[in-house]
Amino acid sequence: MALETLMDVLFLRKLANRRITMKKEALIAQLKDIVQPYVQNEEALENLTENTDFISDLKINSANLVDVVLDVEEVFDIEIDNDAMEKMLTVKAAMEIISAKLDEK
Amino acid sequence: MVGNDIVDLKQAALESHWQRKGFINKVFTDQEIGYIKKAKHSSFMVWKLWSMKESAYKINVQQYNHRFFNPKKMACRLLDAGQGVVTINKDKYRTHSIVNDRFIYSIATLNNSCNIESEYFEFNNSSYRVQSRTGHSKLIQAISKKLHVKNDVIKIKKSILGVPKLYKNENALSIGCSLTNHGNYGAYVLST
Repeated sequence: MALETLMDVLFLRKLANRRITMKKEALIAQLKDIVQPYVQNEEALENLTENTDFISDLKINSANLVDVVLDVEEVFDIEIDNDAMEKMLTVKAAMEIISAKLDEK
Repeated sequence: MVGNDIVDLKQAALESHWQRKGFINKVFTDQEIGYIKKAKHSSFMVWKLWSMKESAYKINVQQYNHRFFNPKKMACRLLDAGQGVVTINKDKYRTHSIVNDRFIYSIATLNNSCNIESEYFEFNNSSYRVQSRTGHSKLIQAISKKLHVKNDVIKIKKSILGVPKLYKNENALSIGCSLTNHGNYGAYVLST
């Protein structure tokens, strides 16, 4: 492969990766907006990452976790069945479920 | 093993809208929806069933070291005004609930043979940190009184899954416990 072509490939790959990162960041920001009204630990919300746990970190009470699920369904226009909901304890799990359901559409 | 859950009815009415579209169907089985429809005060029944589910779930997490979020999977059957049975997969948990116009408090046990000791209390501070600390110190006081030791030799440590465990001078005690707080109310339960 010519050096220039290789550079092009690497550039495109970098661009694609950046796009995925941006998509991920946008999703985290949307999730942050959704959970915000139910959060009892504001500090943990400020430092929200993929690894943040809705119950143990954000101190969202479990009845409000139902609201989070219903809000996610409304905002993204998806249906989260109880099997998928079962895993929805962290930001990361929520992102995986949302992405999978959006891909199905 | 033992689990408990308290629901402050005023707080629940403020922060949860169980009448919202989709809520009931995500949380309750057909039989439970029947109980809610038949109840004189449907919101009392909603939160009673909720606290039964939560208290049984707290035992299930201790048994299997696995957390999950699926309230419908914990199926409630009412035996009388206070007693009930919650089924999670193959396991059955007996529950006892106290209902008044301020709060609903449920305790679940895996077998009826253990001795249960419980206390509920009203908080005068709404910060969850302060409440959690107060609940912990009430539980520690109860244990130290029971074992005739000083408060500071008893420690509560939470596992990664959030399950509280009791220690005396760093040695694990064989006393099961569970803590709960919501709104203005909190409670602990211990089993020996």
